[in-house]
Amino acid sequence: MAKSVKTDAGRILGLRRCLLAALIAGAAVFTGCTSVTIDHYSSGQVTVQEDEAVVVLGRRFASSYDTEVDLISCVGDTLAGGRSGLTVIPEQEFVDRLYPWFEPRTAPMRVGALQRLVRQEEVADAMKEYKIRHIVWIDGKTETTDSSGSIGCSIGAGGAGCFGFGTWDQESEYEASIWDYDTQKLLGKISTDAAGTSYMPAVVIPIPLIARVQANACKGMAEQLRAFFRPEQLTQE
Amino acid sequence: MSLFSDLPARRFASLCGLLALLVLGGCTHTLIVDGRFPSPLVPEMPYTVGIYYPEDFLAYRYEEQSEDRAKWIIDMGEAQAEMFATVLPGMFSKVVELEQLPSAGELADGDGVDLVLKPVMEEFQYTLPSETKIKVYEIWLKYNVQVFDPEGQLIADWILTAYGKTPTGFMQSDEAAMNQAVVVALRDAGANLSLNFARVPEVRAWLAQR
Repeated sequence: MAKSVKTDAGRILGLRRCLLAALIAGAAVFTGCTSVTIDHYSSGQVTVQEDEAVVVLGRRFASSYDTEVDLISCVGDTLAGGRSGLTVIPEQEFVDRLYPWFEPRTAPMRVGALQRLVRQEEVADAMKEYKIRHIVWIDGKTETTDSSGSIGCSIGAGGAGCFGFGTWDQESEYEASIWDYDTQKLLGKISTDAAGTSYMPAVVIPIPLIARVQANACKGMAEQLRAFFRPEQLTQE
Repeated sequence: MSLFSDLPARRFASLCGLLALLVLGGCTHTLIVDGRFPSPLVPEMPYTVGIYYPEDFLAYRYEEQSEDRAKWIIDMGEAQAEMFATVLPGMFSKVVELEQLPSAGELADGDGVDLVLKPVMEEFQYTLPSETKIKVYEIWLKYNVQVFDPEGQLIADWILTAYGKTPTGFMQSDEAAMNQAVVVALRDAGANLSLNFARVPEVRAWLAQR
């Protein structure tokens, strides 16, 4: 009788281990799905010379959100990476160097307002020093639009565990405007929309299956920007 | 006998007091604002300016008095003095810190001072994400920047306003988010000061006379 109980307990334990292993393997293989839509408009062909630099800046004037700092650095890093990487000036370094002209409430909102900056000798010198010709402004945000489900966790003498299922939807909407500092003209716009659903099943331990919505929006935006600035490399690839 | 009968009641009262202190203490957010401010990239005005920081400006501390709000104690005297101390040397050819404000008819300490500035914190306001239903911490600052000539005559009484906000962040503490919002507001104050000081009508009139 005692042997039978031990065998049942062993089977249950084995089943739990199998389930756990399956969930971990599933988490490793699957992530939440994300769809990305990219639109772009350009007013002509643009090429960044080898010695020129680009700066990517986030808009932070809206009342209810800021364009995320990590999204801006992700786009900058992705543009700078790889064999055909561009020289990208880090956002914070640029904003500090050109203080107070690119603060949330003082930054030029329209490309025409660059004329005021060009007239400032100190600003013109700093831009020349950085060799910046193109400014990329990104405006937008990633937000959780819906969530449902519940997960309960408990701790007892025999151990701790969670059980339940949670899911949440995220949406990213970003628009990049590319300005030419020298001519004070808008060269193009790229918009990226991404949406995805993340899941978190919990059987003993919660296994998050995260949809990388912001990361995919960043990747899509950066690839499109790279094609915008280095069209010749796109044709080579 | 009465001493013994009172003891449990006294112990209970002490325990309640201690518990209340613990609960209140647990709800108090204490913040010493920490930030670095860049020097402004603006045309330098060829004047020597004296800056006088009043005691209550240097030791400015906001303590939330409302019982309906979370208890916040925000110590920003040092940070705002640092902002002025960084921004002003970028605006003028020389800045001198004064121990006291020159009284009427008396020349300011250090010969050659063209103007004396005295910043006064007039108002500090904030909102929390829980109050506005948007995931943003917001700060409003209102300074009164008084401008004197070297003989202590008031030239201008300028209201300098600033705004800063920061969104809530994943795994970011309330204090870190509030600090970031205050630093953004102080940067905005510095931007307003450096870009608009010479546009204040009374200052512009004084500059035109020089």
